Amino acid sequence: MALPREARRPFSTSVAPLRRRTLADREDWLGRLMLAPALVYVVALVGVPFALALALAFSSARSGSLEFSWVGLRNFWTILPDPQFHRALWNTLRFTLVSQALVIVLAVTAAHVLSAAFVGRRLVRFLLLLPWAAPVALAAIGWTWIFDSTFSVINWTMLWLGLTKRWLYWFGEPQLATAAIIIVHVWRMFPFATVITLAGMSAIPQEISEAAVIDGAGFWRRFFQVNLPLLLPIITVAVLFGVVFTSTDLSVVYLLTRGGPYNSTHVLSSLAFQRGIFGGDLGQGAAVALFLLPVLVVVAILMLRTARRAEVGA
Amino acid sequence: MSDEESTKWVRVSTDRLRRVTRRDLLKLTAAGAAGATLAGVERLTGPYIVHAQPRELRIMTWSHFVPAFDAWFDPFARAWGTSKNIRVTVDHVSFADIVPRATAEVAAQQGHDCYFFIAPPSQFEPQVLDLADINQEAERRYGPLVPFVRNSVYNPHTRKYFGFSDNWVPDPGDYLKSVWANVGYVNGPRTWDDLITAGQRIKQRHPEIQIPIGIGFSQDIDSNMATRAIMWSFGSSVQDRNSNVVLNSEETVKAVEYGVRLFREVMSPAVLSWNAASNNLALNARQTSYILNSISAYRSAQAQGLPVANDIFFTPALRGPARAQVATHVMGVWVIWRFSRAPDLAKEFLLHFLDNQRDAIMASRLYNFPSYWGSVADRDVPVAQKPEAGRRWIRSRVFQDPFGSLPPDKLKVLADSERWSTNVGFPGTANPAEGEIFDTYVITDMFAKAATGQLSPKAAVEEADRRVKEIFAKWRRAGLVGGGRDR
Amino acid sequence: MRPRWRAHPVLCLRAERVSAMETGFVEIRNLHKHFGEVRAVDGVDLSIKEGELLVLLGPSGCGKTTLMRMIAGLEVPTAGQILIGGEEVDEDVPPRARGVAMVFQSYALYPHKTAYDNIAFPLQAAGMAPAAIRGRVQGAAKRFSIGHLLGRRPRQLSGGERQRVALSRAVVRDPKVFLFDEPLSNLDAQLRAIARYELKELQRELGTTTVYVTHDQVEAMGLGDRIAVMNQGKVRQVGTPQHVYDHPADTFVATFLGSPPMNLLEQDAHTILGFRPESFVPRQDIPAGTDAAVFQFKVRQVEYLGADRLIYGAVDTPHRAGQTVIADLPVTITTPVAEGRAYEFAVPRRALRHFDAATGLARDRGAA
Repeated sequence: MALPREARRPFSTSVAPLRRRTLADREDWLGRLMLAPALVYVVALVGVPFALALALAFSSARSGSLEFSWVGLRNFWTILPDPQFHRALWNTLRFTLVSQALVIVLAVTAAHVLSAAFVGRRLVRFLLLLPWAAPVALAAIGWTWIFDSTFSVINWTMLWLGLTKRWLYWFGEPQLATAAIIIVHVWRMFPFATVITLAGMSAIPQEISEAAVIDGAGFWRRFFQVNLPLLLPIITVAVLFGVVFTSTDLSVVYLLTRGGPYNSTHVLSSLAFQRGIFGGDLGQGAAVALFLLPVLVVVAILMLRTARRAEVGA
Repeated sequence: MSDEESTKWVRVSTDRLRRVTRRDLLKLTAAGAAGATLAGVERLTGPYIVHAQPRELRIMTWSHFVPAFDAWFDPFARAWGTSKNIRVTVDHVSFADIVPRATAEVAAQQGHDCYFFIAPPSQFEPQVLDLADINQEAERRYGPLVPFVRNSVYNPHTRKYFGFSDNWVPDPGDYLKSVWANVGYVNGPRTWDDLITAGQRIKQRHPEIQIPIGIGFSQDIDSNMATRAIMWSFGSSVQDRNSNVVLNSEETVKAVEYGVRLFREVMSPAVLSWNAASNNLALNARQTSYILNSISAYRSAQAQGLPVANDIFFTPALRGPARAQVATHVMGVWVIWRFSRAPDLAKEFLLHFLDNQRDAIMASRLYNFPSYWGSVADRDVPVAQKPEAGRRWIRSRVFQDPFGSLPPDKLKVLADSERWSTNVGFPGTANPAEGEIFDTYVITDMFAKAATGQLSPKAAVEEADRRVKEIFAKWRRAGLVGGGRDR
Repeated sequence: MRPRWRAHPVLCLRAERVSAMETGFVEIRNLHKHFGEVRAVDGVDLSIKEGELLVLLGPSGCGKTTLMRMIAGLEVPTAGQILIGGEEVDEDVPPRARGVAMVFQSYALYPHKTAYDNIAFPLQAAGMAPAAIRGRVQGAAKRFSIGHLLGRRPRQLSGGERQRVALSRAVVRDPKVFLFDEPLSNLDAQLRAIARYELKELQRELGTTTVYVTHDQVEAMGLGDRIAVMNQGKVRQVGTPQHVYDHPADTFVATFLGSPPMNLLEQDAHTILGFRPESFVPRQDIPAGTDAAVFQFKVRQVEYLGADRLIYGAVDTPHRAGQTVIADLPVTITTPVAEGRAYEFAVPRRALRHFDAATGLARDRGAA
């Protein structure tokens, strides 16, 4: 008699509601539920503004009115021959490509330095990450003073060191303003890229580096023929991120030069802001901003492909 | 008119505004002012009406360049709210974010009840209430509005008062007296040519001064005002009195050519990146000897106890071939959004604020000047004499600066500032096209491109002219700008 | 397949004696490597003769890999000396100057390079002309029959093919010393036996001095001209596979080598008696007249493994009852053994080993 009772026990004593599937058991519904916040986020903060931007670009919307009267491609016909727009488009590409190229070089170098063991490495890593954590506005204020026309600390230092004889008007000359903007972009992206590269380096099997050592390769040969090619996929990710981040950035240009001198350092986003928000021509501003779209689509595709390849390769 | 009476009048309006036409309102107003219906008004302010009123007023204003002003304004607004048994919130926004923030409020169709701009917000005209009523009431109380202020709040093309102004800010030149005396100009420059002649001497005698003359050609508000001042003084302008574009002229080319000489001979590329703060700092650090920029640089030098404060003196607008004319440094314009939940309270507050202009102007350390001279007159002066009395009061202040100037009459040039100041859009009125030209830096761009040799003065003017016409055409299509017989 | 270098007849080398004796091609003298408190290598002396294949055998963490890495130059010794070909290689002699080639457990092929470029890499690093490189690479590839795979990347190769590429890379530049770090452990069992055979062939053909690290005793026994058994940073015994198997220097070596391991019985308070499971047979299966020790063997469990039977049980000694013992009977012994019963089992006396109970060291060390 004991045995059957024993066997029956789990059934007879379990409480009926417990046997029913709860939400946590229903993976399909649970999945949808978990995904919902992300979906709401994407729709509300990306989808809706994007649709709005599209609608605005084809309308004569102004900041002082809410009418969306359809004007077809007029906004685009207005900006296409506009030299300021050409300049902004060219600047966007130039700032992004040059800053990302510098970021790669610096990040890989820094990652190599930081992967070595030395006293104070933690402190240096921490300091390196600070720019990434610093709020853009705060940082930009710091940089506006560093590059100030009258009080630039860079100029003082360079004059003192004898590196330059003339006073450099960082934001007063288009070339120098360009350099300044690129410097700040590099400064912003470099910690992120370094951390990514460091992660990538720690993923390279130590044996491979050692094999290269044993095979008689010197530092540069190891770096260019072994480490760098192995880091390439992850550096690509860092760079693509950097491209998206830099090419869409408004804050650096806006806070440093406001597009000056004489509107020569505008990027698409700052020009869109100046035309759309300050100038009140939302339609034209949206049209300018939308020119980033093809670039970003290409970058996004590349990013997804790289990410997928990294998954398959692992 | 006593303070108490004005309060009572406003109470009537807050009850009635929704139901009565403007004409009716004015009648009521007249009656209220005459005191004939005082007793009735008292009864109307019973609990029933209080319940029908909004209980909150939300004010958005800028962070004033003179911080002491905000320290006065915020408690002032809240105290008014307490007396009316409503909640008043005052938010501040940095001068650079005024327009973006306003755009956001319009897009969201919510935000503040009244909103303060430092340049005429003509582009928002369709989104704001017509404030003819309080403009007229203010004139009734204090006499006429300063004409160039009217040009900044009233659109003659649509016949709408899109704003209400309590103050404007003069834009005198600030110079270092010791430096200018050293080159033979004890009283500083009087003409635009003086800047070049003296500037060259300063360059030679004072190599320690990085930028002898500091007139901005950059993308900021001060540069916008300065380059317009040069144009007007040379007889050029963006538009004429009737909103026709007249930029492409001999005079404009002359003005730009002058700008080129000024830049090449006595300035440095620093002025291409001037911002609202940097010219003040450069002057106070004795890195430049002349700037065109209100009295805020001087006041901040005073506040920080810098010795340079005693060396800063002021000049009126510099004379050019045509005239001596500068823009106002700031044109303070309040608007009440269409979507405001408490438009009546907002109007009531703005009039109350106007009633206390003396305090406001003293709180701004004489930075603000009254848009209605009469608003700073003694209270018992009859309306007809108020403007003159107000001017006299200002004159007495600037000749005897209550904020410790040495000599005490250091600010005296401001006494006549009304004569040599005008609005953006001169000789016409402010309008959205002028606003967009201002905010996208078309004019500073024109000067900077010529100054740096990117374009010849003529080509720079032509490029700016194309852009200006495009912008005017766009706003004319929107029906907000008149004219059309462009040159 | 004549062994060119038979094991030195010295049966068990004590550390002090090695340095005094003839100098090997690779000489290791009192080598230490400490990581903080941990003594990974704790005073190792070893002499590896020219052309010899020496296996470093031991459990994981015994210090064998660290020892090899110090020879390669990947680790700097805490103390001690290493000589290769009579020249001291200290930390000023980088790996590339030591003339060593190493094959890693993971093969450490460069994943982004083709097999050809992997093999060519050390030659390129040495600055050899491309034409000469081509010849060398193709020669090496031919030796390992991977000529048709040279265009592929490691990801497109099987485990065995990768191993061959790694071997080619090691061989191609004619090193003075081969270092193998468990190069077979990533292969499956069948492939491993073939690879072992081929590796030994290769080593004999080239005659290159080789150090081979493994924790697998089968590999060690099969490959090594000599085996150095390591534990806790020290070399416990060096000798031919046969000798180390038959005459373990201590109880560690005795139990580490052999599967199942040597049986150890506490004979008395001072002595531990050791014998191999295959020497422990039913008494009637020992030829008459053989001097043998007899035990009462209480059988608990019998495993039939095809080629042999493993019999688990216990014996009693006067010192302690019920000590676990394993017998490994080849198929040639057909005497029935049933679980749960006791039998008389015996060990020929010459197969008995005696260890000191306190130190674990062999008493009859050196006796043939």
